[in-house]
Order: sequence, then C-alpha cells, then structure tokens
Amino acid sequence: MRFLLVDRILSLVPGERIEAERTIPHDEDYFRDHFPGFPVVPGVLLTESMGQTAAKCLDAQALPRGKAMLARILSASFRQWVRPGDVLRLRATIVANEDRFATAECDATVGTVAVAQAKLFFSFVPLADFAPDFRDRVLDEFLSGAAR
Amino acid sequence: MDRQEALTWIGEVFEEAPGRIGPTTAREEVPGWDSLGTLSLIAAFDERFNIQLSEGDIEGMKHIGDILEILQRHGALAS
Repeated sequence: MRFLLVDRILSLVPGERIEAERTIPHDEDYFRDHFPGFPVVPGVLLTESMGQTAAKCLDAQALPRGKAMLARILSASFRQWVRPGDVLRLRATIVANEDRFATAECDATVGTVAVAQAKLFFSFVPLADFAPDFRDRVLDEFLSGAAR
Repeated sequence: MDRQEALTWIGEVFEEAPGRIGPTTAREEVPGWDSLGTLSLIAAFDERFNIQLSEGDIEGMKHIGDILEILQRHGALAS
C-alpha cells in the first residue's frame, strides 16, 4: 500500500495551523483483516494521518532544519469508528516550534463527530537525506494554488 | 515541586519506571535518555516550566542530578 494519508489541504498557515481532508477508500487492503464484516480504520493510521497533516504544516515553512518526522506520540485517543467512505477532516495546531523539535495538537472529525485526537512530537531530518526528486505532492499543490 | 515529584516527572519524560532513577543515575544507565529523549526533555522543560535550556545546559547533563540542579536553579524545585 502507499502511505499518503492526506488527500488535500484546505487551509494552511505555515508553522501555525493546518486543516486537511482524506476520504477513506472502500478498497483499502487492510479492511480484509481489520476486521472481516466490520471494517474500521486502525487507530495507528488515524494517528499517521494526523501526523502527516501536522508535518505538512511544519514543512511548509521550508526551513533549513529539514523535513518534520514523527518522533513520539505523546498522547492519542480514538473516540469513534472510522469506516470506508468516511471523509476525515484533519486539523493540527503547532504548539511548540523550535530548531530541533516541534509539538502539534491534532484532531480528526467525520462530519461533526470527533473521532480521534493526538499530541505529536516531531524532530527534523535534513532534506539532503531524502531522494533528490522527493516532493510532497499534496503540499506542493496547495502552495501552488495559493500562490495563484 | 519536591525532589520525588521531580524524579517522577523526569521518569515520565524518559519513559522510565518509577523508582529506577535517582540523582546519581548516569545518562548511560537510562535507555530512554538518547537523542530523542534529550529532545523530549528540552520540550518538556519548556512546556512544563517555561524554561529554555541553553546549549551549555544540554551539554552538561550527564546524570539525573544535573537535571535536578537545573530545575533548582530556575526555582522549579524546592531546595
């Protein structure tokens, strides 16, 4: 499976806050096991979706420190099942943003229902450590649209 | 915060079981006090006490007692 767990960015203030969205496909492979007859998105993937959202908010600053990488899950809770076809609304607020680390408070909703929240800790990896052609398509699309 | 509360807080930062660390415990003896643990400690100082550690503070932390000394220096630990 691919590991791109954010479809599009809806709003973004680099280094401060972000709102994004993901529609859960009906044909995700893990639904075969999680669980037969009762398909729900694993909490670990909800956490990763929130993490990717917050990381885009930090990466949008394009600072020399590099790309934000999830380093620690400070807290996480899952309040409602997330089902195939649900549209996840993902929000992150950056509450600490330093040269070497950042912390984000994140939440996910489906409609008006809160389904998950997490406080996540990030460290940074220099861009030189990634493939030269590595790009964040979702972030690039939003920034290019915002620039128009 | 008293000394026992401080040790509990430090243990939580390093994900160390309560009672496993004391002032003389060396960094090498705490598995969670690696590079990520150090970053977590820096963030925790800032978030919990609004204390911004200097590079000197960070370099000088070799034992749990060094962390306690920083807390005491900033008035966060009762002497």
